[in-house]
Amino acid sequence: MNEVCFKNLDKDQCWSLETYEASGGYSTWRKILKGEYTPDQIINELKASGLRGRGGAGFPTGLKWSFMPRNAQGQKYIVCNSDEGEPGTCKDRDILRFNPHAVIEGMAIGSFVMNATVGYNYIRGEFIEPFNRFEGALKEAYSAGLLGKNINDTDVSFDLHAHLGAGAYICGEETALLESIEGKKGQPRFKPPFPANVGLFGRPTTINNTESFASVPDIMINGGQWFADLGVENSGGTKLFSVSGHVNNPANFEVSMGMPFSELLELAGGMRNGAKLKAVIPGGSSTPVLTAEAAMGMTMDYDGIDKAGSMLGAGSVIVMDDSTCMVEALTRLAHFYYDESCGQCTPCREGTGWLYRVLKRIMDGKGKADDIELLLGVQEKIMGNTICALGDAAAMPVESFLRNFREEFEYYIEHKKSMVKG
Amino acid sequence: MADIKIEIDGQIVNAKAGETLIAITDREGISVPRFCYHKKLSTSASCRMCLVDIEGVPKPQTSCSTPVSDGMKIHTQNEKAKASQKAVMEFLLINHPLDCPICDQGGECELQDVAVEYGSDVSRFSEGKRVVAASDIGPLIQTDMTRCIHCTRCVRFGSEIAGMMEMGGTGRGEDLKIEPFLAEGITSELSGNMIDVCPVGALTSKPFRYELRSWQMVSNESIARHDLTGSNVYAQTYKGQVKRIVSGDNEAVNETWISDRDRFSYEGLTHENRLLTPQIKVEGQWKEVEWNVALDFAIKGLSNTVLNNRKAHKLGGLASSTTTTEELYLMQKLLREIGCENLDHRLNVNNLDEAIHLESNLKLQALEQVDHALIIGANLRLEQPMINHRLRKAQLSGANITALNVKEFDYNYALNHVSVAPNEIATILAGVLKIVLEKKSIELPEYLSAISPSSSSVELAKDLLNAERPVILLGEHIINNKQAASIAQLIAEIAKQVGANTLNLSISANALGAQHVNFVPNSVGMNVNEMFKAEMRAFLLLDVYPEYDFHHANSAIEALSKEDVFVVSLNSFNNDLVAQYSDVLLPMAAMYETSGSQININHDIQSFTAMVKAPDEAKPAWKVLKVLADLLELPGFHYENSTQILEEFEHQPAHEHSQETAIDLSQQSTAIETVWMHNCYHSDALLRHAKSLSMSTLGQVNSASMNANTAKELALSDGDEYLGVPVDITETVADLCVFVNSNQATNIRSMS
Amino acid sequence: MISDNAKKQIDHWIEKYPQGKQSSAVMEALKIVQAENDNQLTHDSIQAVADYLNMPGIAAAEVATFYENYNHKPVGKHIIRFCHNISCMLNGADDLIAHLETKLGVKTGEVTKDGLISVKKVECLGACVGAPMFQINDKYYENLTADKIDDIVDGLQ
Ligand SMILES: Cc1cc2nc3c(=O)[nH]c(=O)nc-3n(C[C@H](O)[C@H](O)[C@H](O)COP(=O)(O)O)c2cc1C
Ligand code: SF4
Ligand code: FES
Repeated sequence: MNEVCFKNLDKDQCWSLETYEASGGYSTWRKILKGEYTPDQIINELKASGLRGRGGAGFPTGLKWSFMPRNAQGQKYIVCNSDEGEPGTCKDRDILRFNPHAVIEGMAIGSFVMNATVGYNYIRGEFIEPFNRFEGALKEAYSAGLLGKNINDTDVSFDLHAHLGAGAYICGEETALLESIEGKKGQPRFKPPFPANVGLFGRPTTINNTESFASVPDIMINGGQWFADLGVENSGGTKLFSVSGHVNNPANFEVSMGMPFSELLELAGGMRNGAKLKAVIPGGSSTPVLTAEAAMGMTMDYDGIDKAGSMLGAGSVIVMDDSTCMVEALTRLAHFYYDESCGQCTPCREGTGWLYRVLKRIMDGKGKADDIELLLGVQEKIMGNTICALGDAAAMPVESFLRNFREEFEYYIEHKKSMVKG
Repeated sequence: MADIKIEIDGQIVNAKAGETLIAITDREGISVPRFCYHKKLSTSASCRMCLVDIEGVPKPQTSCSTPVSDGMKIHTQNEKAKASQKAVMEFLLINHPLDCPICDQGGECELQDVAVEYGSDVSRFSEGKRVVAASDIGPLIQTDMTRCIHCTRCVRFGSEIAGMMEMGGTGRGEDLKIEPFLAEGITSELSGNMIDVCPVGALTSKPFRYELRSWQMVSNESIARHDLTGSNVYAQTYKGQVKRIVSGDNEAVNETWISDRDRFSYEGLTHENRLLTPQIKVEGQWKEVEWNVALDFAIKGLSNTVLNNRKAHKLGGLASSTTTTEELYLMQKLLREIGCENLDHRLNVNNLDEAIHLESNLKLQALEQVDHALIIGANLRLEQPMINHRLRKAQLSGANITALNVKEFDYNYALNHVSVAPNEIATILAGVLKIVLEKKSIELPEYLSAISPSSSSVELAKDLLNAERPVILLGEHIINNKQAASIAQLIAEIAKQVGANTLNLSISANALGAQHVNFVPNSVGMNVNEMFKAEMRAFLLLDVYPEYDFHHANSAIEALSKEDVFVVSLNSFNNDLVAQYSDVLLPMAAMYETSGSQININHDIQSFTAMVKAPDEAKPAWKVLKVLADLLELPGFHYENSTQILEEFEHQPAHEHSQETAIDLSQQSTAIETVWMHNCYHSDALLRHAKSLSMSTLGQVNSASMNANTAKELALSDGDEYLGVPVDITETVADLCVFVNSNQATNIRSMS
Repeated sequence: MISDNAKKQIDHWIEKYPQGKQSSAVMEALKIVQAENDNQLTHDSIQAVADYLNMPGIAAAEVATFYENYNHKPVGKHIIRFCHNISCMLNGADDLIAHLETKLGVKTGEVTKDGLISVKKVECLGACVGAPMFQINDKYYENLTADKIDDIVDGLQ
């Protein structure tokens, strides 16, 4: 446990430059400044590490970094996604609070690989404490001569800024995030072109999640293979899991990929009040919900969760006991997507509201017999037809809740009350 | 781009790599439904209506944003594509009111069209439709945002074409609302195009509101004639009335946009001031009469005053340059046939010895390609909206634009504004010419010897010399500059030296037509200003309104009003003044009511037919002139239609004006000078009678702008009037001059 | 309309972005101006920000109405933003929101009579392992109970 992003968690002032450097922090960056690395070497280590994007999509980071048109003329940017807004997810907040220098160094290493001299960390607007920590760390790094123009008289330059959001989940979507940095509404862009070619201010841009960046320095210190070996096949390294819901000890846990869910549940203190496990959302609100049975049989890695019928997502484990009304839970999630849809594209703008209204109607005791088919039909019409993945994210819970807990919905419609809560 | 082959619905199609799919399907006539896509706007890919299935790609893709590559196999109609398209259609309809029967877009609604094909069971939505509060965005555009499908075409039109982002999408998700921010609503001079781009009935024409269903109207191509562009439009008519004007498509002229002026001027056609019947003045009393009576009366009057006693030189013929080329041609032919050389269309020029002669030798499409433009004396955005639009495109692709103006106007693109008083312009240009000639080691003409170029001249010269494809535009504000001719001549010289094209925008509407048919006096004739000083006995006037059209309005009115002067007025509108000095009023057909042609800035003769019959007794002026000629027994007026007139003058060489004017820089006035421009929606008779335009923000502008120092010199302050126009003190005006933009007639024109 | 102090703060943000991209600072500029105007944005203050950043008013309005953290109606001096998303819901957020409403005598979306406190229900604030939680102004309060809420709210002035 706690071997990468959280390795200094138990230390005093674990967020300080001193603590960070004492455990080998900035050693890679200093080597880069001394000319001891080539971008390809770094990309190779990352590829070997099996690190996959921690923002939710799980795209291999080494591969992403290799796509960057490193030799393209003109300004290029590196951007960190600390927008963290997916219900159930709260790991990046802790990385920013407790290990901000790892994010800075990870971004700096990335900037060198992409030949990008300017970076932005997009931090969600409500994260004032994490923002202040990050700003503090930036200040330390600048005064230590680790950032800036022509650092230590080398030809390496890297200026890093924090950009604060203002409350919009959609800005976690990488192109909406870029729009937001440009001072616009956070409306996702259609692709292609991809940010690697046309990104921030129209320039080539690489975007990664906070945890992805924070994992890079230790991969470089210990080698890609070391990181890969921490995890399992196809899922290298450790991963932060935010375990929330009906558990005794909800918290962020950094554990090896591949850990059985049952063990993770134990780490989190087991079920609260000894209640019975009913359902688990393993990767954040957009990932399909699993029954207790499916969850108890799965391991916490990309393939393991996939096999169980869901996705690792951002590693946000929402645990529900048998007191949970699934109709209520889904209605709450549907409200979230309805509230957070950016409104740009038709299926999401119109469909999320439709889904929510039908569910709300069921909760109000006005459900109709064909509402379940209606919900399934609407989610299917959203799925795959939108600009960004928020549409899919809104559709998937509906489909999985109805598939796994259909009888609760039928009961609610028929009896005009919850099967669980009465 | 490389030539490639792709397969669409099983059919092999040639394409260029990287082209968007929808451009190809449109070209091939394969119909793909769409709402947000518009060929002249950026892609937003947000409506999702154009989703198609591409083999090998798991999710359906939007045709409007997908670049094609070799070998791509696309299905626009298979089950997957249809399912996505139907899904989107269903989503669009759940919150769209199904009020087609009362919607002004009914029958020409893109949503309605597609819904017929796709919208199956919308009844499944029972959650209550969204209603969006109405917002008033001005007198030109009617909104019904409950119908909005959020395609953002209007928003993109504003920021990309109009160059002023006035509409936006506020709120998020379902609350997304397309609306303007400013209380005055939409103020762009191109705003009406939002009506055309809106695929549904959210934005419709306010003046047209509730008038008719689109299918009841007949739509015909025509030409709008309020400026030098001659925008191609469709005039939509019903039961003999023009009900609406929408944009036509002509890449060489107006692309697919028109100005609000061109769109809404038709409202003037039905104004209560239209002159509807022939009238004669008998013993000071107006009498409505039959045409033959009026024409006989006119002939008799002309005969008594000038014709019977060989006094044709006491007859003057004046015409507005908003008339058709055919009308101008016939009128000059008639006058010359009876031996009268006194004719002119340059009514608003103070001093015709200083008349501007400058070629226009760059076509509109080429204007987009310039890399530098120097604008002299123009507020292009309002005076020549479509020309400004082309220049804006040039600027957006990197051209450097400089404006030499007495006032810093609201431009809709980045330009360098150089502030000048009217009396400095010639000197600055002389400085430019001097630098250019010196640079080229060309001997300096005498008039440049005393010139020492200012820093402005240095800058202007540098930009012109550095440019590869420069253009110099001379605007309307120079017409009455004391050194107008010299300014034009200096521009011609500079252009010759730096290889620049020139555009003469100091003239209006169909002045090029008037020039083509030589509607100016020859050496023995009198020009407009001379006529008013001479002892004239009769005038023939073609759609002339002295209090607006003449620079020397007072002397014009005085000359026309003399007891023994016989005035025949062919007018489309009547007013007290016209009635006061005229002896015969002959009602003439206005725009869209007559056939004819206009010559635009591209030197294209653009012909049009009559869209509607003129109201009541009004007749096309060419017919009236022809009958007048017949009654006068003049030979060569056997026209049966206006095309025959066109055929007669079309191949005549355009009259050559003497290009060489002696440049004289000596006249240096130190007085405070006034540049007087009509409000852009009051620049011709039809516009002045178009009510909605007058009510719009731009139509309301009526101010005499000057800086604080000038105001002090003139002992004026805010709230005062300057020559009848409210004073507006602003530092955007050059020192010691006044820029008047007025919607009213003025006295200054006759005083100065 | 924008105080010198606010301008100074805005300028600090402008510096982070490339030349000519000052409109990137609009989100912070709106927050700064909002903070100086009773936690609220008006039509005029949005226009003032737009003018200061040389962008169209409607573009600033789009931003001001898209993001959650701008207020267009009167709010309290302290804004309690109570998360009611799934993890907090599972941990009893709804009851605690009801408790808070009763305690303050307001519904969510309203301001207390003395203008001191307003309560908003918000979506996930990214502190799910500390559920139930709320945010007051810049600060997070986690693992809430009714007693804890009473203490915190009583301390507000
Ligand atoms: C609606 C939506 C919300 C998202 N929110 C986040 C987020 O809060 N943080 C994040 O890192 N990625 C988020 N993502 C994923 C990003 O788009 C992107 O894939 C990620 O930042 C890439 O970084 P990675 O490769 O390191 O994972 C979101 C995606 C979608 C569609
Ligand atoms: S799917 Fe939703 S959030 Fe994504 S672009 Fe479309 S409307 Fe916006
Ligand atoms: S036309 Fe392609 S998405 Fe709207």
